[in-house]
Amino acid sequence: MREERHPGQAKIECKDITKVFIQKGKQRVHVLDHISLDVKENEFVVILGPGQSGKSTLLRIIAGLETPTEGHVRIDGQEVEGPGPERGLVFQGYMLFAWKTVLGNVEMGPKLRGVPKKERREIAAHYIHLVGLDGFENHYPHQLSGGMKQRVGIARAYANNPQVMLLDEPFGQLDAQTRYFMEKETARIWETEKRTILFVTNNIDEAIYLADRIVTMEGKLPGRMHVVYRVDLPRPREHTDMAFLKLRHEITEASELTL
Amino acid sequence: MAYEQVKVKTPLILRLLPILSIITFFGTWQLVVDWEIVPSTMLASPIQIFQLFLVKWTEVNPDGALLSQHIWTSVQEAFTGYLLALLVGIPLGLAMGWFIVVEGLSRPIFEMIRPIPPVAWIPLVIFWFGIGISGKVFIIWIGGIVPCVINSYEGVRMTNPTLIQMARTYGATDWQIFKQICIPSALPMVFGALQIALACCWTNLVAAELLAADVGLGFLITMGRKLALPDMVLLGMIMIGLTGVVIGVVINYFEKRLLAGIRR
Amino acid sequence: MVDIANEIKQQVQERRPLTLAMILTNRWFLYGVSMLAFFLAWDMAAVARVFSSGLPRPYEVVLQLWRMMFDPLAGKSLLGHIWASTQRILIGFTIASLVAVPLGLMMALNRYVNAIVKPLFDLLKPMPPLAWISIAILWFGIGETSKVFIIIIGTFVPCLLDAYNGVRLVEPELYDVIRMLGGNRRHEIIQVCFPAAFPAIFAGLQIALSIAWSCVLAAELVSARSGLGFIIILGMNLSRPAMVVGGMVVIALVAWTMSQLVSGLERFVCPWKREIDSR
Ligand SMILES: Nc1ncnc2c1ncn2[C@@H]1O[C@H](COP(=O)(O)OP(=O)(O)OP(=O)(O)O)[C@@H](O)[C@H]1O
Ligand SMILES: [Mg+2]
Repeated sequence: MREERHPGQAKIECKDITKVFIQKGKQRVHVLDHISLDVKENEFVVILGPGQSGKSTLLRIIAGLETPTEGHVRIDGQEVEGPGPERGLVFQGYMLFAWKTVLGNVEMGPKLRGVPKKERREIAAHYIHLVGLDGFENHYPHQLSGGMKQRVGIARAYANNPQVMLLDEPFGQLDAQTRYFMEKETARIWETEKRTILFVTNNIDEAIYLADRIVTMEGKLPGRMHVVYRVDLPRPREHTDMAFLKLRHEITEASELTL
Repeated sequence: MAYEQVKVKTPLILRLLPILSIITFFGTWQLVVDWEIVPSTMLASPIQIFQLFLVKWTEVNPDGALLSQHIWTSVQEAFTGYLLALLVGIPLGLAMGWFIVVEGLSRPIFEMIRPIPPVAWIPLVIFWFGIGISGKVFIIWIGGIVPCVINSYEGVRMTNPTLIQMARTYGATDWQIFKQICIPSALPMVFGALQIALACCWTNLVAAELLAADVGLGFLITMGRKLALPDMVLLGMIMIGLTGVVIGVVINYFEKRLLAGIRR
Repeated sequence: MVDIANEIKQQVQERRPLTLAMILTNRWFLYGVSMLAFFLAWDMAAVARVFSSGLPRPYEVVLQLWRMMFDPLAGKSLLGHIWASTQRILIGFTIASLVAVPLGLMMALNRYVNAIVKPLFDLLKPMPPLAWISIAILWFGIGETSKVFIIIIGTFVPCLLDAYNGVRLVEPELYDVIRMLGGNRRHEIIQVCFPAAFPAIFAGLQIALSIAWSCVLAAELVSARSGLGFIIILGMNLSRPAMVVGGMVVIALVAWTMSQLVSGLERFVCPWKREIDSR
């Protein structure tokens, strides 16, 4: 039974999430420690943290791929018990199906849900166009560049029409220029098709450029939430804006992340 | 803090099943022979084979040699062929990977000979070498050389081109690049070839001893067939499998030692 | 922004410096020289009787092949013998792969099947396939059954092993992708396991094919009235080296053609691998 939604209720609600992995059957690794985080509908929240701080693990828990040792995740007030098509995840590696074309990858979600062929072709075409890959429908992943592969990953997640998008360092493997370009594209896509987005990154500029809210993580295990920043800059944003730079300086100081 | 984490443990049944499976296999085999479901001219029971195994250490008849002689002869043949394959195949493969002239000259011949299974050489080899050890070594050699050449060739080909270009800008000659860059970077593939070639050689041993031999494990099998003694055939098969495994383990050990030595 | 989207990976061709010796180092020129030298050396060795009468001259081989095309040998022309061998391989190979590939997939997908089958398989694996010839003859006599049997035994192992490994080596996060998109276990198997295992299965088929050739020839050498192995053993018994070498040439050609056919099939079934292979 779906609860009645009150206005202002969080879209994603993480409560006291703790995660302990047992590696090789013995050693315990405490990865996340009492993470609590609420994300409102259509909000763009960026989780910013250095490597090995449990960001991917948090995202996988919200996605339902991993169960938290303690605490729980709620989407629209409903407890998450497993992966589901109302959440879309863009993986840290590209994780495309090498044996499917761009079109085949993008239409996989609708296909699994039993959407008829004609309809899912339309959906796929729409999202391929949205990420700017027109003309590459019949290319296989190995024929694409890194940035293009990542777009296929994003289009694939979008094509399932999820209410919540979870992106795990989607641009981590791209060069600076492509990355900048992809950030612009992400902002554009988000403005055309509003979704609740949880975006993981280790790049401050990227975080400020995209986020409504930035959650920083501490740099060592177990991962804890550090500070939450609200970013009220007007969009589209400029990296050279005074307010931008000021916020950047502030976050850098606070989190001791290198510039 | 109390963590409730399900400890991942293999269920008991999963650890028992392999043992049960093996016991069932041997049990059925034994019973099938004991109850004479298949005639004793076709299959010998594990116990009979084991008895023959014990007897063959001291009994020469009916095949004319002790088990130890059979094993020793086979190992000798296989190793001679193996070493010759390494000696010829690896340098050839390495050179083919780097020197275009070597590749151009040897590749067509290699490609022509490669699809011929070693077994098919038997009649020709009997013409050439008679039925002595050299013919068997030749058949083993020709089977073992293929993986040596291919792996060494691929190893050189997979050398990082940036390294080669860097060496070029420093003015290194072709020979220097080959020696200093290509060979070291091909080493892992070459070591891979050691194992693969050994497996090939050992498999081809049976082929080599198929037609003309008077001692050796392959001969033991053939003799068992001619005398219609299934226990001898099966003993030969098991000894080939077993010896192969033992040699594989030994080579693996030396390979590890060697690699550790080189890395250091 | 379109130009970034348009970047397609291009293979950088390695360039060699232009020299006067360009023709001398031209690959095709060298190939030609190599073939010519090979046949010349062969002919000279045959004329000089290096192997006494054990080596025919190349033209004798061609002549012999020509004759065998039309004069039946033991009731069959050359094509008949080729077909006899090929047929045995096809039957054995088909049976083996139809059983081994699904079994390998099942072993990889179900740990109970794995726990039962794997130990038996590990036990039988080190036995060289040719070692089964004798037992096959004891069991099935010297007819077709024993030949097909040893082909099945020989090709079973690589088929099963590669299907098994193909599935085991699938990137586990790909299953997560399917689950995220709303798929279930069945979807994971159909959409990820099978296609990801295809290249490995084909690699296994290639190996199995070459083993199948060894097996069928060995079986025909030991006892047969037809097949390419029969031709070369007959040549040996009749002391006609031209027949032996002719048989080997045909074997090489047919084996090569069959492996090309399997590669072609692979390219057809796995088009996503095409460019990686033709590098
Ligand atoms: N399935 C697992 N089993 C055991 N340990 C795990 C597992 N997944 C993650 N870990 C451990 O959790 C820790 C955090 O991993 P995680 O991938 O969440 O970090 P991250 O912040 O995403 O790092 P990066 O920025 O490099 O992607 C690591 O030390 C890792 O070893
Ligand atoms: Mg991560």
